[in-house]
Amino acid sequence: MTDPAIDPAAFARLVEMTGGELDFVDELVDTYLEDGAAQVTALRAAAATGDIEGLVRPAHSLKSSSLNVGALGLGELGRQLEEAARTGAVPRPADWVERVAAGFDDVQRELLDQRARRTSD
Amino acid sequence: MAPPDGRTEPGRILVVDDTAFNRQLLARLLKGLGHEPVEAGDGRAALERLRQADAPPIDVILLDILMPVMDGYETLAALAADPALRHLPVIVITGVDELDSVVRCLEMGAADYLPKSVDPAILQARIASSLARKRLHDAEREAVERQAATNEVLAIMSRSAFDREVVLGAIVRAAVRLCRADYGVAYILDGDAFRVVASAGGNPELDTWERDHPIRPGRDTLVGRVALIGAPLGVDDVLADPDYAPTEGTRAGGYRTLLGVPIQQDGTVSGVLALTRNEVRGFTAADRALAVGFGEQAAIAVANVRLLETIERQRSQLARFLSPQVANLVSSAEGEALLAGHRREITAMFCDLRNFTTFSETAEPEEVLGFLRRYHATVGGLVVEHEGTLEHFAGDGIMVFFNDPSLQADHAARAARMALAIRERFIEISEDWRRRGHVLQVGIGIATGYATMGRIGFEGRYDYGGVGNAIILASRLSSEAAAGEILIAQRTYAAIDGQVPALSVGDRKLKGFSRPMPVYSVGADGAGASADEARELAVEEAS
Repeated sequence: MTDPAIDPAAFARLVEMTGGELDFVDELVDTYLEDGAAQVTALRAAAATGDIEGLVRPAHSLKSSSLNVGALGLGELGRQLEEAARTGAVPRPADWVERVAAGFDDVQRELLDQRARRTSD
Repeated sequence: MAPPDGRTEPGRILVVDDTAFNRQLLARLLKGLGHEPVEAGDGRAALERLRQADAPPIDVILLDILMPVMDGYETLAALAADPALRHLPVIVITGVDELDSVVRCLEMGAADYLPKSVDPAILQARIASSLARKRLHDAEREAVERQAATNEVLAIMSRSAFDREVVLGAIVRAAVRLCRADYGVAYILDGDAFRVVASAGGNPELDTWERDHPIRPGRDTLVGRVALIGAPLGVDDVLADPDYAPTEGTRAGGYRTLLGVPIQQDGTVSGVLALTRNEVRGFTAADRALAVGFGEQAAIAVANVRLLETIERQRSQLARFLSPQVANLVSSAEGEALLAGHRREITAMFCDLRNFTTFSETAEPEEVLGFLRRYHATVGGLVVEHEGTLEHFAGDGIMVFFNDPSLQADHAARAARMALAIRERFIEISEDWRRRGHVLQVGIGIATGYATMGRIGFEGRYDYGGVGNAIILASRLSSEAAAGEILIAQRTYAAIDGQVPALSVGDRKLKGFSRPMPVYSVGADGAGASADEARELAVEEAS
């Protein structure tokens, strides 16, 4: 089995950081999902026009916030894309971006599932 | 700086990050640590907030590097270029893979850095250290500002010591600025009420109201209370104070928080320095200590002005009794030494009236007084004009010195010129009497020589006068002078050196002098002994 989209220990750290305030964690997750969707859109737009430099900032933002919500796999993917975009060497950028988008979808699904599980407890 | 429980004093932290998620997370963490977070989405928004004059000041900046519009590097450069902002500690927020950028940021002036996956304990420690740095800087800057303000006030105090409004104005301005008040007023007791003498800040409506409404001691106003208790007093919110009676001034000014410190003279409240804030924010102990200092400066300023006014009043009162030279001497620094006695070459002039005794016996006393008044006024004016020192007026006799206490290189010529002026003006004032058959004339004697000058008399009644041969000689020459004649001694003639025409009238035997003396007449036509001859004779006489 592959690594989970959300690393439980990293997510627990986020909860701990907020002082265990789950409402606030939900708020943060919503913000993350909104930001993330916007970043994916920005990545797609840049890839479509072949604007490699335009990939850097959204990849960077997605990376740092993903790491904070415990999405370590997506964070790493974002880091690699950011780094590649900085050097200008992104072969087939659209494929890259779609991998990131798929990763974001997994993370989103997992985060929302977790919330649903928690609230139904 | 840190309170005993290990928590730092709260600070206002500006979080600059383009990702809402990061901002929210940091803001929440900061709140949890007791700080006040302020958010900005990029460098430009952050700079706008920092430069907003009316917004509460930021203590520390948490800065993301990669942002749209204006990134972290550009922001750091802009902060470093702005003298008002370059001291603000900046903590760069960075990913673990961005150590190169950390170095660059630190080189650009960032104080510290924080990893993006923030650990609250580390965040707290870093914020605490940056806050301490900021507070130290603020304290230093405040100390420098305070020193500068004090120096400025002292400079104005020494430059405009007489001008109470100017000096108190400078003090109030400094107090408003340093105590972060919106309006400041210096009230000074005038009769039974305190009136505005100087103010700074505040809207014109409030200032006009305060200036039009003197305050009496009482519980209903801050100034009134400070006047009652003679100690500094703060009111944190006037609207919450049961005794405070809001006035139209309160409404016009919109002030809420007050601080008043007394301006005291010998333990009595002679004024109040009042400061107001338009928000409910109590003045701190530091503000209060500063204000007390300004109150003390104001007390010194008020005392100085009073002292100078007293001296000036005494001097002008004195000048009505003494000659201006002597009045100035009395209130000058070297006065005491000069009054104690000194030897100096002077020229003395005596002037009295011929036929005055007959005149005063035959005319009505009122007429005699009227004439004397006019005579004294005329001669007095000429004495002032020629800068002589009037020694006395006694009935028809007048004695004037030159070259003392003020030095006058041309003292002999001055005396002679004044004598000529007196003789000329006397013709005008005696004209009426001449027509009525009273022939009044002046006789003037002038002599030059060393005399001991200073305070003469006894405790309670001193005169400024001199003792010396020249004075006696001038008096004798005045007695010797015929009506309208100006007789001068040998040495005076030599000193005048032809600047005023005079001719020899031969040797005269004068009362009290063993041998006859050469005497000259000023303003007479023709040539007498030459100046050179006279000088030789003078040297002979002096030896």
